[in-house]
Amino acid sequence: MDISSDEADDWFMESLHIYRDLHVFQLEHPTKVIEWTGEKSICVADYSSARNEILELLLPLKLYAGGNKGLCPERDFKLQHGGFCDEPVECLRHIFGKRCVVTSGQYSSKLQVWDIGEGDSDIIKRTGVINPKCPSDKGRKIASGVTDGASVLHGSRINDVQQTELVSGRVLYAVGTDSLDAVSGLQFVNSSTFVVCANNGTLYVGDTRDPRMKHYVLHGSMSGSHWVFALRKDQPHSDPAACTVARLSSFGQVLVSDLRNLCSPVRQAQLNLQQNMPTCDFLNVTWAPVLDSCLAVSGFDGKVHIFDTTSWSTVSQTPQPVFVHRGHDLSHEAKTDGTLLVVTTHVWHPWRPRTLLSAASDGSIHVWDWVDKNVDHF
Amino acid sequence: AGQDVGRSCILVSIGGKNIMLDCGMHMGYNDDRRFPDFSYITQNGRLTDYLDCVIISHFHLDHCGALPYMSEMVGYDGPIYMTHPTKAICPILLEDFRKITVDKKGETNFFTSQMIKDCMKKVVPLNLHQTVQVDDELEIKAYYAGHVLGAAMVQIKVGSESVVYTGDYNMTPDRHLGAAWIDKCRPDILITESTYATTIRDSKRCRERDFLKKVHETIERGGKVLIPVFALGRAQELCILLETFWERMNLKAPIYFSTGLTEKANHYYKLFITWTNQKIRKTFVQRNMFEFKHIKAFDRSYADNPGPMVVFATPGMLHAGQSLQIFKKWAGNEKNMVIMPGYCVQGTVGHKILNGQKKLEMEGRATLEVKLQVEYMSFSAHADAKGIMQLIRMAEPHNILLVHGEAKKMAFLKDKIEQEFNISCYMPANGETTTVTTNPSVPVDISLNLLKREMALGGPLPDPKRPRTMHGTLIMKDNSLRLVSPEQALKELGLSEHQLRFTCRVHLQDPHSDTDTLSRIYSHLKSVLKGYAVQHLPDSTVMVESIVLKVSSSAEEPDLKVVLLSWCFQ
Repeated sequence: MDISSDEADDWFMESLHIYRDLHVFQLEHPTKVIEWTGEKSICVADYSSARNEILELLLPLKLYAGGNKGLCPERDFKLQHGGFCDEPVECLRHIFGKRCVVTSGQYSSKLQVWDIGEGDSDIIKRTGVINPKCPSDKGRKIASGVTDGASVLHGSRINDVQQTELVSGRVLYAVGTDSLDAVSGLQFVNSSTFVVCANNGTLYVGDTRDPRMKHYVLHGSMSGSHWVFALRKDQPHSDPAACTVARLSSFGQVLVSDLRNLCSPVRQAQLNLQQNMPTCDFLNVTWAPVLDSCLAVSGFDGKVHIFDTTSWSTVSQTPQPVFVHRGHDLSHEAKTDGTLLVVTTHVWHPWRPRTLLSAASDGSIHVWDWVDKNVDHF
Repeated sequence: AGQDVGRSCILVSIGGKNIMLDCGMHMGYNDDRRFPDFSYITQNGRLTDYLDCVIISHFHLDHCGALPYMSEMVGYDGPIYMTHPTKAICPILLEDFRKITVDKKGETNFFTSQMIKDCMKKVVPLNLHQTVQVDDELEIKAYYAGHVLGAAMVQIKVGSESVVYTGDYNMTPDRHLGAAWIDKCRPDILITESTYATTIRDSKRCRERDFLKKVHETIERGGKVLIPVFALGRAQELCILLETFWERMNLKAPIYFSTGLTEKANHYYKLFITWTNQKIRKTFVQRNMFEFKHIKAFDRSYADNPGPMVVFATPGMLHAGQSLQIFKKWAGNEKNMVIMPGYCVQGTVGHKILNGQKKLEMEGRATLEVKLQVEYMSFSAHADAKGIMQLIRMAEPHNILLVHGEAKKMAFLKDKIEQEFNISCYMPANGETTTVTTNPSVPVDISLNLLKREMALGGPLPDPKRPRTMHGTLIMKDNSLRLVSPEQALKELGLSEHQLRFTCRVHLQDPHSDTDTLSRIYSHLKSVLKGYAVQHLPDSTVMVESIVLKVSSSAEEPDLKVVLLSWCFQ
């Protein structure tokens, strides 16, 4: 896609008003994972090259300089730690409370455990491998356990979802169902309750003390649609009563449900978004950790769309986004070979209300803090 | 306040030659630690005899700040190489630096103005891509490095061994500086700074955006923006940026360019266009410096005008002159802003305000309150991790040396380089020596006759995986090496060939006649030396291959046979 430099210039000029902060970086290889590993650091990983690097990056210091911002010229990412993976990384999760990440890859069904390393060395070392104790598809999905004992919940199909203790490799829990539905995502609600979302939109709620799971089939789901989910909870260990689930389909449908009542959504919408490429690999929906009822959607095209669900109702309508980040489309420095640009992933900053990080298929990675016209004055 | 600290000075010994790469000052120290430690070269006395040449990559003080100290106070009279723009700009920065350090800080162990002048007399200017013979064995060549005006990467070659030193460079083009470029020169070692090797740089457009945002915010609230600048290139780039922005946003606030800058501008402008390449000239330098629609020449009285304005003024560190004058007038108003575009030397007002100082002592005990907003925007371009990989891909070195990084914090980069390019990566600390063994190839011409002779000897054809020894004579004449047959060599040298023949006498007790003894020896040899040619010749000799045997005896002792063996050396 050839962007006229005028359009790009326009966007940059506009950016002076619509963003408080904007940082645009170019990684050597694109990533489809951005995972917070600390208050100021993230992990990214290759999914497309021969060498598949895993990198831990420190965010630009300027973002954190507070009152002294003017005196801090540091706008760059600092590479703190790096390592090499033997396969393109599909999923990467930081283990709660530890300097450790777990990855799954596109060539195998195994999980790899990595030690990020402390002051002395900058190498990310592999410290272990977890092989699922049953036949499994490649590229398993992973969720970090939220207890002190480092563990992961992982699965590729509902029937192979299991929880493994990292240090010993012991299987702490395995689900007791036959369902062959493919897993699109999973997450712990608290130390024993967890939610799994299948590709077809069905939600499963389980408890690691019981192999049985409750499942909630999606009614009227369009065939061929692929679903992803996001869980909004206020703290690592949450009461299910305080949790909300959002599900997004590849056709742009969004359903918001209370975790206690997954049968009927409390809000829904039909987003005006079409996928520009055939893969659903990058579909992503996330809840804002600070702003109430805001969610971000990406994976359809080269943009990140932010919606405020407060005004949504049970009757599906087509809402307008409160903000659209078009930076990846309009500022990509990498030469494209004609393939369409798509945002591969995005994450919210844990405590800065409107700061997000997003990555795209051209290797770009942006850090941006958008201005809500309704709230702030520039 | 996040200012770059560090000093560059690298000593290279190659093919018997000693070269000093850069001679920088460490800006963080006030004592002798700020100078490089020249005792690594020699414990006492002048450096002239120990160095074949000194090369300076660019005019930043952490690369040339200690040059006059080295050449005039420690002592060095050999050639100092640098590009034309570096030669023009260096002495100005050094003099500024000297003035600040001596006059403002009262230092005594420092070089004088005369020393700077004497030092610059030793400079031999370099042009890009031109090979310069330092002596009959050492040659150097400069490559475009980007980074700042006049910055160069240098290739040093002695015989078939070479080293490339990058100095500071960048791989993403600026508006006014292109990206660094080097050919596939395949040096034995590529020496590069690794200070920024572990960063991933924010895009140039975002830095510009930040700059524009700051300026706009200040103008909007009726404030004034002061931008102290030195180098023409950066100032011109920022001017073009503002001009475009003003046009787009239809802004009316005036932008000024101080007179001190206009004087220097023409000089540097000429320097710039004769040094850079055609492409840069066309894309950037086309416009006349002062044909801006929105930017006008400054007059000192304008500083008192009410309302918003932007002013570019020299000097860059707010240590004297017009920029300091303007600063004094505007510092007391919190609506105003000063944008510092680069590093400031200790002792300057620029350095103090970047360290957060809010009260400054001026001449005559007057205090200046700093209420205006101070912004530090680093515009200087360095290569990051990606840039280093790109440079390695371009030059294809056999080994790489990373300097100015902490080895522990660069293990990943080392792994990455070693894996991707299959070359060794070294990371020496200050004071450490790294020895790299190279495998120089020595080209030799072989004569056709010799080749044919070798082929005639039979056996398997020459195979690169199975070398075979051969015999010949190596003639080294002028700069060529030839391998020829010994006869050929002797002929060329006008020497006659000598044949060596060895003899040995064996004494035997044998009562038979001489002839009979010979026959018996013949039969015996024939039976034991089965694989060899043994002949009994009519002239009463026995030949075993080329060894000749004769039997004789004396009249006095007929039973004492003397067997004479004789053979050639082969």
